[in-house]
Amino acid sequence: MTAAGSRLEHDWFPGELPASVRIGAGSWVHSAHAFQHFRSERDPAVVIGEHSGVYVGTYFDLGPDGSVDIGDYTTVVGAIITTDARVSIGDHAFVAHEVVIADGPWAAPPGAAIARRPGGPGPRDVVIGPTAWVGARAVLLGGAHIGEGAIVAAGAVVDSEVPPFATVAGNPARVVRRAAS
Amino acid sequence: MTLDVADITGRWDPATLPANVRVGPGCFLERRESFARFRSTRDPGLVIGRDVSVYMWTAFSVDPDGLVEIGDGSVLVGPSFMCAERISVGRRVVLSHQVVIADSDFHPHDPEERRRDAEASAPGGDVTLRPRVESAPVVIEDDAWVGIGAIVLKGVRIGAGARVGAGAVVARDVPAGASVEGNPARVVP
Repeated sequence: MTAAGSRLEHDWFPGELPASVRIGAGSWVHSAHAFQHFRSERDPAVVIGEHSGVYVGTYFDLGPDGSVDIGDYTTVVGAIITTDARVSIGDHAFVAHEVVIADGPWAAPPGAAIARRPGGPGPRDVVIGPTAWVGARAVLLGGAHIGEGAIVAAGAVVDSEVPPFATVAGNPARVVRRAAS
Repeated sequence: MTLDVADITGRWDPATLPANVRVGPGCFLERRESFARFRSTRDPGLVIGRDVSVYMWTAFSVDPDGLVEIGDGSVLVGPSFMCAERISVGRRVVLSHQVVIADSDFHPHDPEERRRDAEASAPGGDVTLRPRVESAPVVIEDDAWVGIGAIVLKGVRIGAGARVGAGAVVARDVPAGASVEGNPARVVP
């Protein structure tokens, strides 16, 4: 477990990890720059399990209530995570290049001067199940629950439930393959 | 080359931008690299109003004859402006992650012309021989919000207060106050 508030030894960016970030043994996070817009007041706010990789292009733009949980043996190639809710990514999951995981379609970094719609629903969680695969440039919005083993095709836009072991594609995403029964 | 952290954390000096870039008071310009592909020779070639936030993922790719205007209080999270002529963004507009706004196709449609275009724009080519390509200004009016990954194409006007959903591809005008989604973008209730 990486000590809270520490520097990553390989880091090019001269900053420390926020104290509320926990990184498990054998896991890799590209840089403290991933937390440049981080505003979470939760503790822990980001928990990364063991043997997981979080690579260049990934950002944790978390608002005061935002939190992220990443399991073991999970790969996040490059995802912008921007939420004031909870994002949970299971074990052995794979999130590809240029994915955006956001609590709404007009996401902006925490602290951005954007009027929240009065009376609208609050930010909603995103769940990515174990062994799920999220393809390049997919967008997962609040309410997206990707079932275990499911595949989200490249460029798909998802804001609802994807059944376990199904494949979804398109905008809005539709099931193109169901689980083998 | 050593990294100057100020260049990526909004602490660099916008006065070092080209003289035809106007930046109003109260702006946050996170990353100098957002302006690396700005090559307009118009004056002004880029006008950013007051209290505008330009986050690190934004890119102003502006051709020599291009003009981009950003109104007061707008939030540019991660748009790429591909500008040959004119892109006008109103006040309090939100352009989210991975948005692309292009006022031209930038390349000819005709295959023979594309062959000439490829040779003229190749390394060592003569870019003055590139075929002329049409452009049509893009206008995004006040209080419009453009969602993650949306693409806004040439000649489009997005009306005031409109909402463009994530991943939408917008090739036709969006009425004021309307919501559009999908590819091609369609009005939804």
